[in-house]
Amino acid sequence: MGVHEQFEAEGGVATRTDDPWITIVWNDPVNLMSYVTHVFQSYFGLPRHEAEARMREVHEHGRSVLSTGPREKMEVDVQAMHSYGLWATLQRSGE
Amino acid sequence: MRGFEARGADAVATLDDEERLVVARIVADVAGLLGADAFGFDNEEYPSSTLTEVDDPFEHLRGLEESIREPSDPAILRLLPNAAPTDREAADEFRRLTDGELRSGKIRRLRRIWEALSSGGDEWVVPADEALATAAALTDVRLVLASRLGLTTDDDADRLHQEIDLATHALETDDERTLSIDPERVWLGMLYQALTWLQESLVQYMAGASEETDV
Repeated sequence: MGVHEQFEAEGGVATRTDDPWITIVWNDPVNLMSYVTHVFQSYFGLPRHEAEARMREVHEHGRSVLSTGPREKMEVDVQAMHSYGLWATLQRSGE
Repeated sequence: MRGFEARGADAVATLDDEERLVVARIVADVAGLLGADAFGFDNEEYPSSTLTEVDDPFEHLRGLEESIREPSDPAILRLLPNAAPTDREAADEFRRLTDGELRSGKIRRLRRIWEALSSGGDEWVVPADEALATAAALTDVRLVLASRLGLTTDDDADRLHQEIDLATHALETDDERTLSIDPERVWLGMLYQALTWLQESLVQYMAGASEETDV
């Protein structure tokens, strides 16, 4: 889980406002709420209540921004989400 | 069928012969869609996918510099979605960098399930460190079934449940004439529901396991 550790190490950087890319997770009718929460906890290292809040945002508002940072890092995060079967995209944060 | 329950550190579900065969078959079919060789030694029993449209498995090995086409089958596209719908360059680069790794990772997890279900015995034992990979593979199978069933919104999913309930009731009461039942759709829908239920039980097991380690 090198990716995960790397994310933890870069946690401070990930919220910098001048970082131009974001990872968005989108709602879909297939993924279970419990599963999405578990993936957010285990990949992004979120505490359970925070992971649940993000999952609800996805479910009720259709999308949630899960990470912010350099494009290469967002590619890693989106790839991880696709590997878990979640529907994720990346884009410049200003778009 | 009995859903996953904790036994020691493992998660254990119980499936009879027919249930194991059906799940193993769909798992192999989804791997076939992703470009895997047929699972198992007996290729007669598991011919290449019945869900059709096998993408070229070696596509990602032929010149990494070339761009990789977006899958034309909506089910495969859901497993390997467009990562940047508003940015062609970013979407192409993402697919070029990740397509091979995502496919092989998904195929590896599906193969693991197929092996577990093909080894005989009613019990499907998933060690703790394979639980998330197994849940992820079940997601991939459900995504393919959902695509074939045309489930694109939460309402579609709710309607499927009603449809299956009605069809089951009609079949039980021998009232098939009054309903236009598509047996294949009902069968796929029931398989989708069974896998959803199995996956939910596995995720509950994982939630319980992580609570224990938190203490």
